[in-house]
Amino acid sequence: MEKKKYSIKEDFSMLAILVIPVGVAVNFVGGQLASLLKLPMYLDTIGTIFAAMLCGPWVGAVTGGLTNIVTGIANPVNFAFIPVNVLAGLVTGFLARKQMFSVWWKWILSMLIMAAVSIVSSAPIVVLVYGGVTGGGTSIITAAAMAAGANIWAAFFGTEGIFTVLDRVISFVICWLVIKVIPERTLVKFGCGSNYIKEKKK
Amino acid sequence: MDNIIECKNVTYSYPLAETPAIQELNVNIERGKFYGVIGENGSGKTTFCALLRGFIPDFYKGELNGEVLVEGKKTTDYGGELSAKIGYVFQNPFTQISGVKETVFEEVAYGLENFGVPVEEIERRVVEVMQMTDIEALAEKNPFDLSGGQMQRVALASVIVLEPDILIIDEPTSQLDPEGTESVFAIIKALKEKRKTIILVEHKIDLIAEYADEVLVFKEGRMIAAGDKQEILSDLSLLEQGAALPQVAILGSRLKEKGLPISRIPVTEKQAIEFIAEALKERDKK
Amino acid sequence: MEKTYTERIQIHKENKLAALYPSTKLLVVCLYIVCTFIIGTVHLTKVGLSLLLIPWFIAVPVLCMASGAFGKCIKALKAVAIIAVIILAVQTFLVPGGELLMRFGFITIYEKGLKTAISLSFMIMNIAGIFVWLFQTTENREIARAMEASGMNYKAAYVFTSTLQMIEILSKNSKTIMNAQKARGVETEGNIFVRAKAFFPSLVPLILGAVISSEERVLTLEARGFSIQGEKTHLFNLEKSGCEKTVAVVAVIITVLILAGRIALWII
Repeated sequence: MEKKKYSIKEDFSMLAILVIPVGVAVNFVGGQLASLLKLPMYLDTIGTIFAAMLCGPWVGAVTGGLTNIVTGIANPVNFAFIPVNVLAGLVTGFLARKQMFSVWWKWILSMLIMAAVSIVSSAPIVVLVYGGVTGGGTSIITAAAMAAGANIWAAFFGTEGIFTVLDRVISFVICWLVIKVIPERTLVKFGCGSNYIKEKKK
Repeated sequence: MDNIIECKNVTYSYPLAETPAIQELNVNIERGKFYGVIGENGSGKTTFCALLRGFIPDFYKGELNGEVLVEGKKTTDYGGELSAKIGYVFQNPFTQISGVKETVFEEVAYGLENFGVPVEEIERRVVEVMQMTDIEALAEKNPFDLSGGQMQRVALASVIVLEPDILIIDEPTSQLDPEGTESVFAIIKALKEKRKTIILVEHKIDLIAEYADEVLVFKEGRMIAAGDKQEILSDLSLLEQGAALPQVAILGSRLKEKGLPISRIPVTEKQAIEFIAEALKERDKK
Repeated sequence: MEKTYTERIQIHKENKLAALYPSTKLLVVCLYIVCTFIIGTVHLTKVGLSLLLIPWFIAVPVLCMASGAFGKCIKALKAVAIIAVIILAVQTFLVPGGELLMRFGFITIYEKGLKTAISLSFMIMNIAGIFVWLFQTTENREIARAMEASGMNYKAAYVFTSTLQMIEILSKNSKTIMNAQKARGVETEGNIFVRAKAFFPSLVPLILGAVISSEERVLTLEARGFSIQGEKTHLFNLEKSGCEKTVAVVAVIITVLILAGRIALWII
């Protein structure tokens, strides 16, 4: 096919519009499941990553932002983290578009980039708006590290860092497993879906 | 002849597929007639439905040759307007709920809101259709709390309320229990009485025999037979092609082979009783 | 005469404040946040604590009570309060800096810690609190309808409403899948690896099913004229409570007064 001029509007196809609610709901359920299984991670960006991988960065960004808007209705504190999830969607989408999940070393690099973006974007919000504590699972560890005299920024990066990378790896693997079993006929209808078909054929 | 839909030499392949899902299809759908579509799984029946409705190639992509005309205009030239002309109902009742409405009443009204119909008219039309489809008792329930059969009736109502001339109904009962099937067919019968053009894909061949005027038979992407139901459903050679035929038609042919002087092959139970009784009388006379 | 179905789906609220048009409520929320920031800049006592934020917060429960939604709001405020208390405690006791104010054995309170503790925790209580009022007195349907009425694309309103329903559906489905997987012997208790392993078989089928369904739902929406061009009608319409103007004027006046007071304090 010829390369057409790219427009963001095209990203929001009917299918993309329907994937956004699914993505938000998956974020929500993933987070619930993680706390139900008492995992030390949030795992609440799986849907954002999934939407971004299939429909590109802008759909991913909307999925991420909307997640925090919707959870913010119950607890408005979540509004502050809208930028973090918007960025997560954007970055994943751009990585997907650049085929950064195709070879193992690119994949590892992508995981690190995704985790880094998440930490770097949430750190200022957590530290400046909440003084380093959000009330989540890892907050306690951060608080303990702070009590031990560690610098507030270092405390945040140290504990959040490891878990964020793990979080992204698990989230990504889940998305990958799902994409692998989606029928090709369905996959081609998604903006970035054909990327994953070529890889399968190899 | 008044053709409402025409397919002219249509060949279509899904994206990535190596063989076409529909090959060299030529068919005319006449206004006001009831078409039953049969054939084994994967023979192209659902593709045929999506093609007539214009979902192919707009949504399914892929490669389409030839043209599909609805009232003389190509489906690809319609855009969203085709929803006013063709109603579309398919297998899965669960995915036929819009996902934004909290009551059955609003669900059925959703299409009319999209069409921009005035509110007073919406109320009147929705109540009318809810009565016709026997769902008025459910009007204030959440659509997701319904049983499969109820959901499928809501899906039918949501489409009928738009008053399309043509209805494409793709295996509406394959996921329903006998009771649900019966209630759905009661609605289809009412639509037939309203002289709508209906294209129905259905595996339960006795239902096709009872309701259809014409039958189209698909095999491996080709339409291998088409015509009056009496003629098609009594053609035993189609059995070898993988098409299901009514048990009574098979019985009739066997009786004929055994020497019963049966004049016509029956396709419905009612016909069977009538024709066989006739033949028995004939034999007794001799 | 019996009510029509259309009449029955409308939302009527007795309380004039709760019944305010959503955009008026949003204006109140925005102005309240502006006021919160202004008040937060007033530093009292020698240490410079933003103590005025504490009495200012009383406005939130008062507003909730006046809107007749006190019970609902308190429930939602609890979640916010927990976070605020944690922040207050951590900041007060753990952050060093500035002068040492107090020491009881191993517990120490420093100037800088106490300052950020009060300012952060009450800033959050105020801002989150006013949003709680907005969302506890406004139904999601009203928000979606207001979005469309304000000229946003109907697709945005669809995505919003459908998201709320989808969360309900997928939560229900995930419970079903979890139970099924448990029955098949997937362990959900044990060490962290065992528990992490349970995560996959629960989530993968859930996402897959939802994606395949969205493909079919596109056909459903198209069949219902979703992408048809032209004006749409709405069975559900927002009502005004009649106090919109008064409330807006009062809110603006309060904001101006607070701003004036702040400027006056600077000049003095």
